[in-house]
Amino acid sequence: MTGIIISLLVVPLFSALLVFMIPNSRKEIFRPIGIIFSLITLTQCFYLLLSDYGKTKFVILSSYKWIQSYGLEISLGISGMSTLLLLLTSLLVCVSLLSIGNEHAESKGFIGSLLALHFAINGVFISGDLISLFIFFEALLIPMYFLMGIWGGENRRYATIKFILYTVFGSVFIFIGTVYTAVISYGANGALAVDFDSLSNLTLTSSQSKTLFLLFTFGFLIKVPIFPLHTWLPDAHVEAPTAGSILLAGVLLKVGAYGILRVSIPFFTEGFLAYKNFVAVLSVIGIIYGAIVAIAQIDIKKLIAYSSVSHMGYVMLGISAGGYLSIEGAIIQMINHGITAGALFMLVGFLYERRHTRNISSFGGIKITMPRYAAIFLFTSFASIGLPGLNGFVGEFMILMGSFNSYKVLTSIAAFGVVLAAIYMLWAYQRIFTGPISNVKNESLKDLDTRETLSIVPLVLLMLFIGIYPSYIESFVIQEAGFISETIALFKDIK
Amino acid sequence: MNDITEILGINFVVIGPTLSLLFTTLVLLFCTITISTPLYVKKYISFLGILLTIFTIFLKFGLFASGGVTSFFSEKILLDEFSLVGNVLIGLVLLLTFNSFWKTSEVIDNKTTEALILILMSASGFLLMVDAENFIMLFIGLEIGSISLYALAGLNRGDQLSNEASLKYFLLGSLASCIFIYGVALLYVSLSISGVYETSIAISFIGPDNVPLTSLIGLIMILVGLLFKVAAAPFQAWAPDVYQGSPTGYVGYMAAVAKAASFIVLARLSAISLRFILDKFDLFFTAIVILSVLAGALFATNQTDIKRLIAYSGVIQSGFILSGISFGVYGISASIFYLITYIIQLIGVFTVFSIISGQLSSDFKISNLSGLFKENKFLTITFSIFMLGIAGLPLTSGFVSKFILITNLWSYEKYLIVTVLMLTTVAGFYFYLRPIWVAAIEKTDNSIEKIKISISDKVLLGFMAALTIYFGLLPNTLVNITRWMVENYL
Repeated sequence: MTGIIISLLVVPLFSALLVFMIPNSRKEIFRPIGIIFSLITLTQCFYLLLSDYGKTKFVILSSYKWIQSYGLEISLGISGMSTLLLLLTSLLVCVSLLSIGNEHAESKGFIGSLLALHFAINGVFISGDLISLFIFFEALLIPMYFLMGIWGGENRRYATIKFILYTVFGSVFIFIGTVYTAVISYGANGALAVDFDSLSNLTLTSSQSKTLFLLFTFGFLIKVPIFPLHTWLPDAHVEAPTAGSILLAGVLLKVGAYGILRVSIPFFTEGFLAYKNFVAVLSVIGIIYGAIVAIAQIDIKKLIAYSSVSHMGYVMLGISAGGYLSIEGAIIQMINHGITAGALFMLVGFLYERRHTRNISSFGGIKITMPRYAAIFLFTSFASIGLPGLNGFVGEFMILMGSFNSYKVLTSIAAFGVVLAAIYMLWAYQRIFTGPISNVKNESLKDLDTRETLSIVPLVLLMLFIGIYPSYIESFVIQEAGFISETIALFKDIK
Repeated sequence: MNDITEILGINFVVIGPTLSLLFTTLVLLFCTITISTPLYVKKYISFLGILLTIFTIFLKFGLFASGGVTSFFSEKILLDEFSLVGNVLIGLVLLLTFNSFWKTSEVIDNKTTEALILILMSASGFLLMVDAENFIMLFIGLEIGSISLYALAGLNRGDQLSNEASLKYFLLGSLASCIFIYGVALLYVSLSISGVYETSIAISFIGPDNVPLTSLIGLIMILVGLLFKVAAAPFQAWAPDVYQGSPTGYVGYMAAVAKAASFIVLARLSAISLRFILDKFDLFFTAIVILSVLAGALFATNQTDIKRLIAYSGVIQSGFILSGISFGVYGISASIFYLITYIIQLIGVFTVFSIISGQLSSDFKISNLSGLFKENKFLTITFSIFMLGIAGLPLTSGFVSKFILITNLWSYEKYLIVTVLMLTTVAGFYFYLRPIWVAAIEKTDNSIEKIKISISDKVLLGFMAALTIYFGLLPNTLVNITRWMVENYL
């Protein structure tokens, strides 16, 4: 099992280096190489999912001495939630490699950066200590910097710098939190042990717990992003190339929520109990605010970006309610949002490649020229809105149901987010697809070809599968959600 | 005769590195004034001299292994962990920069030998400086080293900026030397001491609370003299002009060697001389650290000249290194780790610059990097690695050094400094990423045509970039070395 964990790092890194090694004259094989290697990772993730570790809470599988004299170790491990997110990552990397146009697919820098990003994201989800978590969390930025900087849109310089500075600013807090935890752990264990096992045995005073919770959570919340720290997200999404957007919405946003579930809540529970109401209020503001702003957007990508703010608000609401059902819902919503938002960004990318514009007003009636595309878009929109029977419903329903006990008013307000989602998604659909063709340029639009259909179909199938059989995906997170909610409940009892 | 040798502690192995560099300069001088020697012979002579120096440094390790910490030459020269690491560091700087300063000296008209002599001479001075126990000896080493550097800065006589750099460096440097020697004098007047160990013994004898004000002022003046050399604010004014004006091929050496030697001496002062009264200097060091990182970050943000940018970044790094040195022994080991990794990145950056812009040029705008990636992939990638290392991104040595340093500061409960340092790190990403953006990302019609890189340069750059990554992934060995350095001074 350790071998598989390590190969989750080695395979993407090796494939990235391999792509960089191949001379530019063989540019047609960059994409196949990337796809083959991400399929290998995907298979490994499946293997992990079906193994004993696919359903557990976090277990550390291997540790390596990093700096001996400080007692620092690098630990790697796995859990149910991690496995699902790893699976999502490999799937999204694979389909986004398939979906991108030839201009990007024939650039080794692009494919290489994407695979390097895959490496760093995998690293985040399997790290078993604060140091490696931080290292991979920051390492994400390098490939993302190049992806956005080189292949981004017009205003990419501003968006890239904003994205980097926001994230780095957040990670400084995580860094200080790590240092603080390490020093506390040094007092208790005689070594700077920050692996998750020793952290769970660490006894913290009330003020330490609160400070540490604030430090870590602030850093992670920027990444989620929560209102009012979300302003980097629309810019980053609009300027990033399609594949970058897919991974940004699909996985990178989950890194923040993952960090809160993995680090902030289990280890600094007292801090969580002290500040959870605050987080819940912010996330509900985010749900409503994101949805309302999304209605007003004229750029499709920006619309989906703001819808992400709204959807991630649900995740944060579920997490801050802290019950068993709501946390489980939050984890499932993370996966679901990864699938739907990834699919939406991919679809927008297809349209952008054809027309080189994302303005809603320059479309209209393209259902006539692109029937297949329109059908898939409608299906994905329904999933995003949360139509019963599709995946979006499962997570949001569980979150709303689970949070209602703790936050009656807030949850009631949050439920309106679903209505607003229907407004912005369906209205956008109406403006883009229905009616007569208003723009001559749209008359000759080609429908999706086989490659593009092939890259979107796995996501569509997943939306349907999770929608009708949610207990399958639920079975992987039961233990983990149970563990986290029990930790919280136990702490409440002690108090 | 033997008795006298023993009593005086005369031992030529311990000053072997200094002597072998002096010997090399004499041979070079002799070659120039007597027979007309071809250039490549001079190259081999100086390279052999450097190898000889490194060999003698290893001999010192043997001496240390048998005798431990010892004073020589009637307590003028000290053999301890600091001097060993300092020697190795200066030897490393000479080796890593040899290629670029040789190439610069080769093209500088008719002054090849002078340049080589100045460089080797300054290295011998700094070697003496890290070996010195007595403050007067330290001053002699510092002056031998610095005066050579002043001349080196102005070696490109036709260039106005080079002249300005030299003059500015000389005037401000002499002022700093005056302050230093005045501090030594005050210390001697008040306590009749002038040595590293003498100071700590005297202070422990009269008690930390009874140290006269005069000697405290003297110590601060000594520190100021050294802080000037590492360009810590508010003594940083010379650095940007000197970095910008000096021939690019020399700047890597000039910056690295002065920083290495001065920080090693500062570390030794903090670990030995000031160990009983370190808390009295708390405010002084805190102020210097905060001023350095803030001033550095503030001025670095809007630089257009990349050498000035690196100079201001050097001010920030000095603040970082100093923060560890000034508060305790484990902090010192973290600082030395920081120093070593930073020096490698610094030399790497300047090697790249001198390859791109030519060895002699003084002006080097960030915009000159535009379109570098198109034809020069290797240069861009190594350059990016060094810049990301200085910025402190994980997976590079810069992150590990910052992590260790901050952990130590936090355990000393220096929360204010930690906050300021971390904010500076964030700001740093803004100006460290800008050159990378210009070189690798920005779409432009400019393209720098393919620059031919010699194999030796390629190997050196690859080696330094590999070290930057290696210490970022597996820092254990180097951390252990720096811990070994300070273990006896707990």
